[in-house]
Amino acid sequence: MSSTEQGTSSAAPAEPTTAPESAAAPEVPESFYYVHGKDKVVHKVSAGALQHSALIHGMISNLGYTEEQAKANPFPFENIDGDILQMVVDWCNQHKGKPTPPEDTNLPKQKEKLFDLVLAVNYLEIKELLTYCCKQVAMMVKGKSPEEIREIWMIPTDAEDEAAEKEAKKRAGKEAAGETAAAAGDAK
Amino acid sequence: MKLFKAPYVVQKEILDNMQTSDLFWLSFVSKKIKNVIKSSQATRFKSIRSIVYDYVDQDQRIIYIPSESGRDVIMVTFVIYKGKENHFLLNKYDKKIDFKCLSCDCPSIMSFNFCNKESVYKSIHYNFLDFFGDCVEYQWIINRYTSFFPQVKKLSLVLDFWRYEDNKAAKQELENVLSSSPLMTHIKLSYLGSAETLSPESKFYKAGSVEIRQGNHIFPANLRHFQGRQALLRCNICETLHLIELINRWKYGQAFQKLEYLKIIIDSHNVPENQVLNSIGIKYIDATKKPPAHTLPKLYFDFRLKPNTDPIISHSYVVRKTDNRVASVSIHRNELSFGVWDKTEEEFLSIVE
Repeated sequence: MSSTEQGTSSAAPAEPTTAPESAAAPEVPESFYYVHGKDKVVHKVSAGALQHSALIHGMISNLGYTEEQAKANPFPFENIDGDILQMVVDWCNQHKGKPTPPEDTNLPKQKEKLFDLVLAVNYLEIKELLTYCCKQVAMMVKGKSPEEIREIWMIPTDAEDEAAEKEAKKRAGKEAAGETAAAAGDAK
Repeated sequence: MKLFKAPYVVQKEILDNMQTSDLFWLSFVSKKIKNVIKSSQATRFKSIRSIVYDYVDQDQRIIYIPSESGRDVIMVTFVIYKGKENHFLLNKYDKKIDFKCLSCDCPSIMSFNFCNKESVYKSIHYNFLDFFGDCVEYQWIINRYTSFFPQVKKLSLVLDFWRYEDNKAAKQELENVLSSSPLMTHIKLSYLGSAETLSPESKFYKAGSVEIRQGNHIFPANLRHFQGRQALLRCNICETLHLIELINRWKYGQAFQKLEYLKIIIDSHNVPENQVLNSIGIKYIDATKKPPAHTLPKLYFDFRLKPNTDPIISHSYVVRKTDNRVASVSIHRNELSFGVWDKTEEEFLSIVE
């Protein structure tokens, strides 16, 4: 279940929703942090759920924020689409304090969404979820012919790679020539 | 979804989760992806012991990587004699081989014209060498009916020979197959008659490993001149004197110089343990100490069986007179196991805990 339910999320600084209480709630009150993606919708997530992300865990471990400070300083992940961040937050909440199962069947089926999720999860350093996602990406090409694989993963042909390399070299050459000319101009 | 848009660590994680056979097909998509696979999967490729070209029938082969969990099928090939082909190109340097892709859902099922058999298998083999490297053992299995194999480097032959009738004819047929082939890595021989013995010069004895299953006693006829490294003999009857002779010939350096592992299973009776051990001058490790386990990778890894020889953990051992090397000896009911160590007696005793 997501900590940010549809309709209750809003752009900062609107009041975010709260993650559901765990059945076996710890005696010490749990601390919460706030994250938002490209869409600026703020998600309130418990520190326990965020432990899945090595990146965020590293960021918060020494902060010692109060609730107010955390709310006032949501972590911005501008490179992650809002719906993708929502999926990540949902996954972290679902697997908070639980051993991760060998498979996860709730991953997106659309390849673009899945791939965006892979990139986000890699950035946030969520090892288990990255493994699940990559397994699913790998399954997409199982038993497929090389041409089918090329289409699914949009892998350029050798000719396209060579042309791109040539173009990059040409561009680098031009830039180098430009820098030399600029340096010569400065020297004058 | 652009795979190359992902960081290398993600690309590697995706490739790590693919089966080796799928990686092989992926490598045909571009040179760049092939290089990424080869660099990111180097450790996996190093762990591949063998790739087997197994037969299904005269015209059909199944090519797979055996593993403890089964086999990872890379492709199934078969020869066609007529019909129009759809083409998939398998490149080997500047040479292209056309295959018929039978099913879009399963690109690894391929057929090709009978006339192209040699060149197609050559191409497949060189693609394997290029992709998996030459540290992998490539094993081509032949039998009585399918003795064809391509003339390529780095290809070991395995013979699976069985015959239930007419001993003399069976022996002759076996000799014919052996004489027309290079030395075998492994021979699996079933039910060659007891009355027939092979010529001492037979290539049978030069195979790296042999597995013999036979109804009647043949020992030492089919092992007497064995020069290979591993042997498994399963028979119905075996005379004790023959077992003693075998071990003594090793002990006195008269035969079996390269022998590493031998197992004899007798179906009809137990091996008389005391008689055998007393006749070969057995020695014993201190009973309070734990003997080391002798086990080796099998020269031929059948995916239906274990990849290594059964461990021999025994207090009994013999020492070869000529070089002081040790062999562990274990007799348990109807089984005799014999494992040669690459150690002198002194070295061997130093590893006993």
